[in-house]
Amino acid sequence: MNTRPLTPRRYLRALAAWVLLLLAVSAAAVVLGAENIWAWDAWDKTRDVLTLRLYSVLTAAVVGAALALAGLAFQALLRNPLAEPYVLGVSGGAGLGVILSSLYLTAVAAPVFGFVGALVTVGVVYAVAQRRGRLEPYTLLLTGVIINAFYGAAIMLVTALASPERRGEIAYWMMGTISTFDPKWSLVAVVGGLALAAAVLFAFLAKGFNLVAVGEDTAGALGVPVNRLRLVTFVTASLVTGASVALAGPIGFVGLICPHLLRMALGPDHRRLVPAVACFGASLLVAADLATRLLEGIGGVAPPVGVLTAMAGGPFFIYLLRTRWRRKTEIR
Amino acid sequence: MATENRNPIAGDAYLAAEGLAFAYTPGEPVLRNLTVAVARGRLACVLGPNGCGKTTLLRMLVGLLVPSRGRVRLAGTPLEAYPPGSIARRVAYVPQETLAAVGFTALETVLMGRSPHTGALGFESSGDWHAAREALRRTDTERFAQRSLEDLSGGERQRVIIARALAQEPDVILLDEPTSFLDIRHQHGIYGLLRRLVTEEGKTVVAVSHDLSLAAAYADRLVLIDEGRVVAAGTPDEVIRPEVLSPVYETAVEVRTDEVTGRPYVLPRPPA
Repeated sequence: MNTRPLTPRRYLRALAAWVLLLLAVSAAAVVLGAENIWAWDAWDKTRDVLTLRLYSVLTAAVVGAALALAGLAFQALLRNPLAEPYVLGVSGGAGLGVILSSLYLTAVAAPVFGFVGALVTVGVVYAVAQRRGRLEPYTLLLTGVIINAFYGAAIMLVTALASPERRGEIAYWMMGTISTFDPKWSLVAVVGGLALAAAVLFAFLAKGFNLVAVGEDTAGALGVPVNRLRLVTFVTASLVTGASVALAGPIGFVGLICPHLLRMALGPDHRRLVPAVACFGASLLVAADLATRLLEGIGGVAPPVGVLTAMAGGPFFIYLLRTRWRRKTEIR
Repeated sequence: MATENRNPIAGDAYLAAEGLAFAYTPGEPVLRNLTVAVARGRLACVLGPNGCGKTTLLRMLVGLLVPSRGRVRLAGTPLEAYPPGSIARRVAYVPQETLAAVGFTALETVLMGRSPHTGALGFESSGDWHAAREALRRTDTERFAQRSLEDLSGGERQRVIIARALAQEPDVILLDEPTSFLDIRHQHGIYGLLRRLVTEEGKTVVAVSHDLSLAAAYADRLVLIDEGRVVAAGTPDEVIRPEVLSPVYETAVEVRTDEVTGRPYVLPRPPA
């Protein structure tokens, strides 16, 4: 795919294009929605709806960017194209942490416990399933299934022990929701800051991602501090996953769909993929959230955005498993 | 300090392992007090039975593994005294082939060899691209530039990986069994290329090999390792001898001389 050198000018030009896409999608998502609010006689109501829509757009953007970046990082470092926070069980671990924190401690600490849950899961997956730093595709699938089943059971247990009104809240939150009447602006700012920091950090690590994807010894011999890179990347990816789960619940497959669509378009070079994945992940989830609100306009009820991404992501996952991934590994 | 950094054992040694010891699991040493030195501008082949520590030695020579005892010196300076990442500008390592099907093209793969020379964000100058193109040319792989690595044959791919090592512009190239999985034409193609890099460009090349005759045909020096120690080191004529090889490989061998090249070659003689 690289037919010309990657220069700062080309890099910035591509970045600007991706940011423009995100801004365009975001603008559309603020303007459009379930109801027509463009009536001059009821400006107060219009303003309130616009504020909520702006909140949804910002939430979707930061969560989408965070999950897509985490997916890209896991795929690079585990050298497995199917690695993704949701599939790996990292989102489940974060979810359990968030639920435990909001039920028994304080909702304010939820992102911290989400991060702890995510990080513990990454540690377990890596300790149990990696061989020479690589996660074999089938091992990953099995490990993910088992870890997700475990967290599912733990979350059901916690839910069963909770009061009836909390049960409903937890069940709805677990579906992955963005549009809300209860905005948490400061949490959006925190997740946004983390996602932006992760994007900048990963942009600087992208050269190392490329080399580790080729092989650990190759990377090490080319001067990449592989162990430090792995630690920093796993902690960062866990951090943004935990924070975004605390904000919007476990939203699946964003971290799978975005990196793969962009790999098909841009090739495997992480230097180009990192900024693209951050902006495209944000745009995609903003668009998905807009879709839920437009569906609300048609059917009266907004489906949770996590349901939408899972319905699109499940078939996409099977497609990857059957075609792209199989074709490539068979050559090995 | 300056005097301490000077190499005490081999005057012309460019890359030297001094008394290396290492064990992956305690009590099962892979290397025991291994000492070997390679002079600049030589092609050296490391030989030895499976599991004798050849790959471990190679990984130590490029700093991927740190010995539990002993040290590696590059140009007289211990590896640990080099700033992080700077060894990669002087030593290139070609691991034993494992293909990661990531989808990088040959050109992208070779450009990765520029990574020790580029900045944090990995922007490439026209100089980097020139070095990559030049490396493709020297390995006769220009026509694969835009082809995906996994679409190439084993021999083509190995040449591209060697091109990546060349793009690093190193003084030393270490290769771990560069010709395993290759047919005889490509085996000789690779060793002929390594030979040219040594004689025409003054590179220092160390290759691990299982093929005694192939190594004897191309190398200036052979190093025979067994059970983590150097058993024999010297010219092919000094190392390729039945009394040296037979005990190490626990196989009777006959050594003959190739009348065309004058180099020795090995015929295994299994018990009847």
